Amino acid sequence: MRKLSQGNEAIFRGALAAGASYYAGYPISPSTEILNVASGWAAEHPEFRFLQAEDEIASANAVIGASLAGAKAFTATSGPGFSLMQEAIGYAQKVGVPSVFVNVQRVGPATGMPTMPGQGDVMQVRYGSTGDYTPIAFYPNGVAESFQIAVEAFNAAEESQSPVVVLSDTFVAHLNEVVDLDELAESLEIVPRALAPLGRHDPGEPRFFAGVLMYEHGPNAGEPATADADEYLRQYYEAKNRHMEVAARHARFEHGWNVDAPVLIVCYGIVSRVAAPLRDEYALFRPIRIHPILGDELRAVADRYEQIVVIEANDGQYADMVELAVHREVKRVPLLGGRISLEAVRDGLERVLGGGPSEPPVPPAPTERAAPSPLGIG
Amino acid sequence: MPEAPMAEMAFKKHLKTDLFPTIWCPGCGIGTIMIMLAMVLDEMGLDETNTIIVTGIGCTGRMGSYMKYESVYTLHGRTLPVAEAIKAVRPEMHVIVVAGDGDTASIGGNHLIHSIRRNARVTVLCNNNEIYGLTGGQTGPTTPTGTKTLSSPGGNPNTPINLQAIVRSSPHAVYAKTTVYHQLHMRNVIRDAIEHDGFSLVDITSQCIENNGRRIGFASANEMLSFYRKTYKRAGKGATSLNPFEIGILYPTTDAAASNGHATAAEPERPSALPEQPAGPMTSATASPGAAAASDDTRALRRAESQQRAALMGQLDRETKLRVAKGDLTLAEAFAQAGLEMPESLRTGASAPQAAPAPASAPAVASPDAKEARRAEAQRKLALMQRLPSELKLRVAKREITLEEALGEAGIEPDGSG
Repeated sequence: MRKLSQGNEAIFRGALAAGASYYAGYPISPSTEILNVASGWAAEHPEFRFLQAEDEIASANAVIGASLAGAKAFTATSGPGFSLMQEAIGYAQKVGVPSVFVNVQRVGPATGMPTMPGQGDVMQVRYGSTGDYTPIAFYPNGVAESFQIAVEAFNAAEESQSPVVVLSDTFVAHLNEVVDLDELAESLEIVPRALAPLGRHDPGEPRFFAGVLMYEHGPNAGEPATADADEYLRQYYEAKNRHMEVAARHARFEHGWNVDAPVLIVCYGIVSRVAAPLRDEYALFRPIRIHPILGDELRAVADRYEQIVVIEANDGQYADMVELAVHREVKRVPLLGGRISLEAVRDGLERVLGGGPSEPPVPPAPTERAAPSPLGIG
Repeated sequence: MPEAPMAEMAFKKHLKTDLFPTIWCPGCGIGTIMIMLAMVLDEMGLDETNTIIVTGIGCTGRMGSYMKYESVYTLHGRTLPVAEAIKAVRPEMHVIVVAGDGDTASIGGNHLIHSIRRNARVTVLCNNNEIYGLTGGQTGPTTPTGTKTLSSPGGNPNTPINLQAIVRSSPHAVYAKTTVYHQLHMRNVIRDAIEHDGFSLVDITSQCIENNGRRIGFASANEMLSFYRKTYKRAGKGATSLNPFEIGILYPTTDAAASNGHATAAEPERPSALPEQPAGPMTSATASPGAAAASDDTRALRRAESQQRAALMGQLDRETKLRVAKGDLTLAEAFAQAGLEMPESLRTGASAPQAAPAPASAPAVASPDAKEARRAEAQRKLALMQRLPSELKLRVAKREITLEEALGEAGIEPDGSG
């Protein structure tokens, strides 16, 4: 049935469609609706387990426990909570725990601007935990796509046996659009659970899921491998190759608008919606699978454009990645402080294409009292 | 409560003995805890198809790798959220957490209090060695005041965390205290904790000779064990709290006065001034916490009975006690032979009253008044012991000096604030 649905709600509905049966979370703007919807769902569906944890550290670790026990599990948070989850995300990477982490971004660092949209966690997803790992992450830009991406994230998590991140932002999360989620749910391909749940491993030795490097096979199986670089290399590249292969299967992006225009805009999430009125003047490359970066896909189109401009609600985080991927200079339009508007996009494009700096003009100190700000809940 | 069988080799099938020797230092207490756990699991008929072990980081955390169980070796301090989620998804499984004091009460302290609040149906075995051993011997959350460690060379200035009070902050949780010396007791309380349908924590005082014991004056692990033997005593019948040097198990209480002012295990009463909550989708899905109370009552009775039995056993001489333990004699027969009288409740097999009086006719037993006075005196001494720095405590325990001398040396007034 077509009805008005919200971005956050669509993520939850997508997770359900993908077979999720466990949610753990801690309230934080602007992701809280996912927690609310999950608790309401759990109240009416006892097979769906819900935990309101004491903090995001517990949420993330509960997701790991639930997943190892056999449930498709997920959590949702925003930047500060996502920082607290990084240790657990690293553990899930190391151990290979299929799971989904949703980060609805606001303006940081710290408590920052809790009710304003940002994209400042784009690289926290990539490098936030300790050590080397190859995360898979998606970033939808609307309600229907939030639903589809939630499903795709769960599928990629099962295929790659790793924690997959869904990025969103205050605006995408709180968009209300008329969509038919039931229809979207009809033609889905759902990847089933491959990892045997705890206590159901048959046959062979019981498994020992460890964050520390252990020999998994061979004559030393079951012993620590904490000083063996060879074993590290074997396990690291086995995981990395698996992740890259799965990522390639989910290489979702949008190359469109006026593809013959001289300037290519690279943007993602809400920025791509805000900039859409410029569709006649510019070409668009919108990564949806935002990590690992779509290097081949970007390089395949980059040569057709005189200029590449990355517009994002952070200070050029993804622009650095794009620049590395296409091996040429790209321009940057940072939309900071939650000001994601068509006017700010236009001004920024005009500035950088006219040879000006990336930085927007910094306004002078106010002489009059500003209007009261929304408090927001940290 | 049936007595645990003598140590049998059957427990070995629960362990990956091919990976032995373990990484633990010679003299470490963790191996004992692992073997006691394996014995209990064997006795209860549990195995890898119905039990999951979750461990934390630190020396203790390695236990999972030596057990033939599906096991999760979590991040430091994160055992409880992982365990609680496993139990939520697989309620038919027993979930047993094994972690050190640092993991449980310091880095995992926030998870501990909230898993207790939610009455997570898991059992925590806390290897409480009062030190961060794996990193060389730094002050932990349970390190006694005054103890010198690598990170408190002048003596730990802080008061150790009170695990008992934390666990007992919930009217649904079970707290047990035992030591590595008291192996039969340890097995009994581990089993009782696993049987409890709710949160349970077994606080196991254990020796870390290499990175703590030697630094505070013990020459060997054996000396530490013998210190536990001399210092830790079984709690009295029906105890509602444990002194720092008492071992025992505390069940959810139905006595409001003894429950920290908290609601009791019975369904808490809703203040009538509160408006009725609307029915419908906003209603919380949490299960009613009252369900566990009935079975706990029966267990408390059984426990009182076994405590009384133990007290009666204490009146017999060593040889008779052995014969009763082996099953050659019943307790009643032994009492008849010794010319002692048994209370009615045990002779008829009926459940013991909760506060069973001491058998007054037994000649060897002091009058209840005198016993009470002795008990009060012992408690006073224990409280005084607590205030001593650990070196002095040790010397008192070794009987090198008297408590009074130690108090004098530390400048503590026995009845003042010191």
